[in-house]
Amino acid sequence: MTEDLMKERIAQLVDYIMKKCLWQFHSRAWDRERQNAGILTKTMQILCEEPVENQTPADRCYWVDAVCLADGFRQKYPWLDSMDKAEIKILMQGLKDRIDFLTITGSLNEELTVPLY
Amino acid sequence: MPYHLFKCSECIPERKKHAVIKGHGETLADALPLGYLNTIPGTISERGCAYCGAKHVIGTPMKDVIHMSHGPVGCTYDTWQTKRYISDNDNFQLKYTYATDMKEKHIVFGAEKLLKQNIIEAFRAFPNIKRMTIYQTCASALIGDDINAVAQEVMEEMPGVDIFVCNSPGFGGPSQSGGHHKINIAWIKQKVGTVEPKITSDYVINYVGEYNIQGDQEVMLDYFKRMGIQVLSSFTGNGSYDDLRAMHRAHLNVLECARSAEYICNELRVKYGTPRLDIDGFGFEPLAASLRKVGLFFGIEDRAQAIIAEETARWKPELDWYKERLKGKKVCLWPGGSKLWHWAHAIHEEMGVEVVSVYTKFGHQGDMEKGISRCEEGALAIDDPNELEGLEAMEMLKPDIIFTGKRPGEVAKKIRVPYLNAHAYHNGPWKGFEGWVRFARDIYNAIYSPLHQLSYLDISKDEIPTDKGFLTQRMLSDANLSEEIVSSSNLREYTGKYDIISDLRGKTYPDFPAPKQLSAV
Ligand code: SF4
Repeated sequence: MTEDLMKERIAQLVDYIMKKCLWQFHSRAWDRERQNAGILTKTMQILCEEPVENQTPADRCYWVDAVCLADGFRQKYPWLDSMDKAEIKILMQGLKDRIDFLTITGSLNEELTVPLY
Repeated sequence: MPYHLFKCSECIPERKKHAVIKGHGETLADALPLGYLNTIPGTISERGCAYCGAKHVIGTPMKDVIHMSHGPVGCTYDTWQTKRYISDNDNFQLKYTYATDMKEKHIVFGAEKLLKQNIIEAFRAFPNIKRMTIYQTCASALIGDDINAVAQEVMEEMPGVDIFVCNSPGFGGPSQSGGHHKINIAWIKQKVGTVEPKITSDYVINYVGEYNIQGDQEVMLDYFKRMGIQVLSSFTGNGSYDDLRAMHRAHLNVLECARSAEYICNELRVKYGTPRLDIDGFGFEPLAASLRKVGLFFGIEDRAQAIIAEETARWKPELDWYKERLKGKKVCLWPGGSKLWHWAHAIHEEMGVEVVSVYTKFGHQGDMEKGISRCEEGALAIDDPNELEGLEAMEMLKPDIIFTGKRPGEVAKKIRVPYLNAHAYHNGPWKGFEGWVRFARDIYNAIYSPLHQLSYLDISKDEIPTDKGFLTQRMLSDANLSEEIVSSSNLREYTGKYDIISDLRGKTYPDFPAPKQLSAV
């Protein structure tokens, strides 16, 4: 797959998350890091049909968002079916990098690093 | 340039960083309005004070409580009944407002005696109510009255009563939002963990950040109960004081408004390990996803799916009737703090309207991140707007309707823009599947009101048509629709009742057979 196509697909997934999800916007950077890693890793595992840890309460919360996200992706983007697992992993890593940038490292939200509520 | 300086605010150049136009190809990393800062002197803000945020937004929806303001009578009176958070105990918390009525002499000599006398008087006047919240105001904070000590004294003298003290004076933050946080944290510190609840289900949640505006909470509770879930407490709409003291025993905190209440969930997560799941009760798709997520968490997804299928089949044809008639209508979505992101995408997708502007009076930058993400390109996002900016924005964007509070709403009417009350609603509830259709109906009624059409005519200069008889909404809304849509048998107008809440209060729910035990919860 060309780099441009991969980028375009990542942009579509970013748009989906930004329009429909809330989990990426917790109030502090440390929380966003946990959310992004927890949910996007589990989403990748679901899409790649790998086992997903969902027994602890925290894991279960990430997992329910991941199940809904994976379903939404599959429904809205049929091109996912034509990708093999290795490609999906690259796609999802690119997605996580982009979401991390938009919500944490590149975010202009000055409250992200405030230590107290 | 993504930042936008209003002409009327050129004399307050700091305002520039508070407004952004979402440009083509631009992201949140390019521009984000400042937020949750002290209002700039000279700009006439539409915000409320931190006392008002604590008392009238978060505290007072608690239903079985005497809500006492320790301060001048104006603080409580002027903010009383600004929201319609009803309750199933005959709206006790809405019907009365209480203040210690501090005067100049108390500022000089102290008001602790006055406070004690008022507390006792209020408990005696309402002998069935044994719970009280006392709210500090600017006046009592500045003179340093020790409210906690007085409350303690009364609790010792009057066994059986319990008092919660909320120290959030008006100056305790840049806006009402500061008060939301103060009361949340105070409640966790003082009260959670002081009552042990009766657990009746294997699936137990707190429903947090839900204020029962015109019955929203009761609609959502109905779904949870139909799923066999025990809602231990609601923070705070229609919520009971003692139930909320038992929040620590829930298996999951389901968070609705992540502006006013996310910190309470975060604190419960740290202190008691209860996980937090953010949900969204507005809009068919977000609500369906939310119910599904709660169902998945507990391993009862099938119950959620059954409700989603039933409700969607019942209400979708009615939502779509309105969608056909609202398509392309321009909306300024100007609520207080969180509805910009709750609604921005859902009303665009499910009702077909175009959100041309979002604003927030007291939101933080996080709320703007969510709101801007959920709008389409070209939308104007404003933080803590003043009245002149609102007028300029409406002149620039020419919206068909705005959703906002009473004060800016009345301003909009003067320039003939109809408005819906985003805080207290018109004919709510607006949450839930049926509620969402009621919201669409309110938008439709506002935009196509024949009466409102008359206001576009200026009798001092316009010619008044004398050849027209009366107009109806249908005549206006269906004028340019295709015959296929007008006569569609799949679509229909809202068919629900005027009052959809009373029936829910008497409803009984099925018992579910013993569910499989989840090791995690
Ligand atoms: S700002 Fe102070 S004096 Fe004014 S209403 Fe709020 S608490 Fe009362």
